[in-house]
Amino acid sequence: MNTTNSQPPATNFSAWGWLIFWAGALAYLPTLLTERALFGMALSNTQLLNLGLTQINLMLISMLGALSLNYLTGCAGLISIGHAAFFATGAMAAAIFDNQLGWPFPLVLLACGLSGALVGTLAGLPSLRVRGLYFVLSTLAVHYVVAYVFLEYQFKFFDVVGIPYAAPRIGDFELNTPVRWYAFLLPLVVLVYLGLKASLQSREGLAMRAMRDHELAATSVGVDVRILRLKAFGLSSAIASVGGALFAYYLSNVTSEAFNISFAIQFIAMIIIGGMGSLPGSLVGAAIWLLLPSIIGGLSPQSNEDGGFIGKMLVENRAQLVQLIFSLLVIVFLIFAPDGVAGLARNLKNRIAAWRQRP
Amino acid sequence: MSPVLDIQGLSVAYNRKGLALEDVHMHVPKGGIVALLGANGAGKTTLIRAVTGLLDLHQGHITAGQVRLSGQIVSGLPAHRLVRLGMGQVPEGRLVFKHLSVEENLRVGAAVLPRAQVQDGLDAVYHLFPRLLERRQQAAGWMSGGEQQMLALGRAMIAKPKLLLVDELSLGLAPLIVRDIYKQLLVIGETLGTAMLVVEQNANLALSFAQSAYLLKQGRVVLSGSAAEVAANPLMKTSYLGEAKVAGKSTP
Repeated sequence: MNTTNSQPPATNFSAWGWLIFWAGALAYLPTLLTERALFGMALSNTQLLNLGLTQINLMLISMLGALSLNYLTGCAGLISIGHAAFFATGAMAAAIFDNQLGWPFPLVLLACGLSGALVGTLAGLPSLRVRGLYFVLSTLAVHYVVAYVFLEYQFKFFDVVGIPYAAPRIGDFELNTPVRWYAFLLPLVVLVYLGLKASLQSREGLAMRAMRDHELAATSVGVDVRILRLKAFGLSSAIASVGGALFAYYLSNVTSEAFNISFAIQFIAMIIIGGMGSLPGSLVGAAIWLLLPSIIGGLSPQSNEDGGFIGKMLVENRAQLVQLIFSLLVIVFLIFAPDGVAGLARNLKNRIAAWRQRP
Repeated sequence: MSPVLDIQGLSVAYNRKGLALEDVHMHVPKGGIVALLGANGAGKTTLIRAVTGLLDLHQGHITAGQVRLSGQIVSGLPAHRLVRLGMGQVPEGRLVFKHLSVEENLRVGAAVLPRAQVQDGLDAVYHLFPRLLERRQQAAGWMSGGEQQMLALGRAMIAKPKLLLVDELSLGLAPLIVRDIYKQLLVIGETLGTAMLVVEQNANLALSFAQSAYLLKQGRVVLSGSAAEVAANPLMKTSYLGEAKVAGKSTP
């Protein structure tokens, strides 16, 4: 009777095994990317996919944006195209509390988070009265209001070249190299991720997901959807605002144009690609969105004018090619995998489970 | 002793439609089961909305009268507050949270309970509907209609309401399943002492199940009494079939 019961060899590590593997890999990543060598074995630029630590750091910052937007849109069901506004709020708050008032960096970050929560709660107020498309338009209005205020602020206190940000320091630890930034950003993203995950498992998180699925039914079992909406908006924008402040610090100079409408749209694209309502999906979406351009860019030295249409595009119109690929990616995901990478992974897992249980 | 639900002279109007309920008096005694009958458009759903505080979501408002829950005036309170005061609801069309698992659905319903009582509540629902225990981890939106209706019922009863409003439970379900669910509804009434107001298209089913009944017609209560009285009254036939049909040709 024991003939069909042959389990495949134990390929799955225990949960702890995976955790240690990933922690090790992430800890080794800065060494890999700065020394351009894997355990002493030199790797070419192409083998490293043309990636540097700067792209990784910007990706980590974008992950804050994607996570917070997915929390709001995917988990609470509130579509917002005002996410750039909350990033801008954070950048502006950092300029006020650091450049103008000279607060220490950790306090500045806290203040940025609180300012974001405040602006976010205000931006969420229309959600008490209007629904669906009308609400989306109200978030667009928020975007333009904040963009205007940012522009006025920039011109009043700074000038056309933008707001300069000095490298922040926590005690003696100055965030002035990519490796140090990485050491700061990675734990922060992990912390935010775990915090949001815990929040979704809590009573309120459950009520929030219920509200996303059916507002009326949620009300009928005692969920106060109005308070819940404002809370979701406040938390999401607080995180986005911290992301915006870090973004400004990392670039060390930011103008109002940095936070335009396509900056907001990119986060929507990230969560579409990653998967609506999935926190791991947000991370994957942000990674694809931030790393793909430089990976594509890395291919261009491999190609030349004779490389056919794609090769020619790679050399002459790299930016357009990246745009084209991104647009196609979003369209393909919307049509064929509306649940994003997270949905694809879930399907694959189910398939494997079914395959293992086959008679 | 005050009844669980006491409606006095309730009138309701919608912004775009005018008066939908006019001077409705109704009461549901403690532990009693009351059927609310009437043809389409008679105002049954409007009455449920007025009682549960969901009127303003549909641009309606109470123009006169009041609703009391165990003696306390509740008309005008928001819906989520009413749930905490003991008003449970099984909405029309089931409306389960489809991306949430069965257990998560129940946990949303149990959120008004103290944390220590949640597990007991879950056990009670699973005891009543063993099917839900089997499907605990399954996403609710991909279950059969009957199972979703069981879940909607479990989600409402887990909060231990004093009054349970059940709206069109039989909608789109096979008669056998409906009968089963109604049996469990009786069990809930007996074990928890929950009073119920049941809206039902299938008048015969509702009258065999309830102790008393109200018949609504064009926003007014035209008939009320014990289930047997209401069933025997010729007004029942006319309001469902139309007057001309019954009065005109009595021979089949």
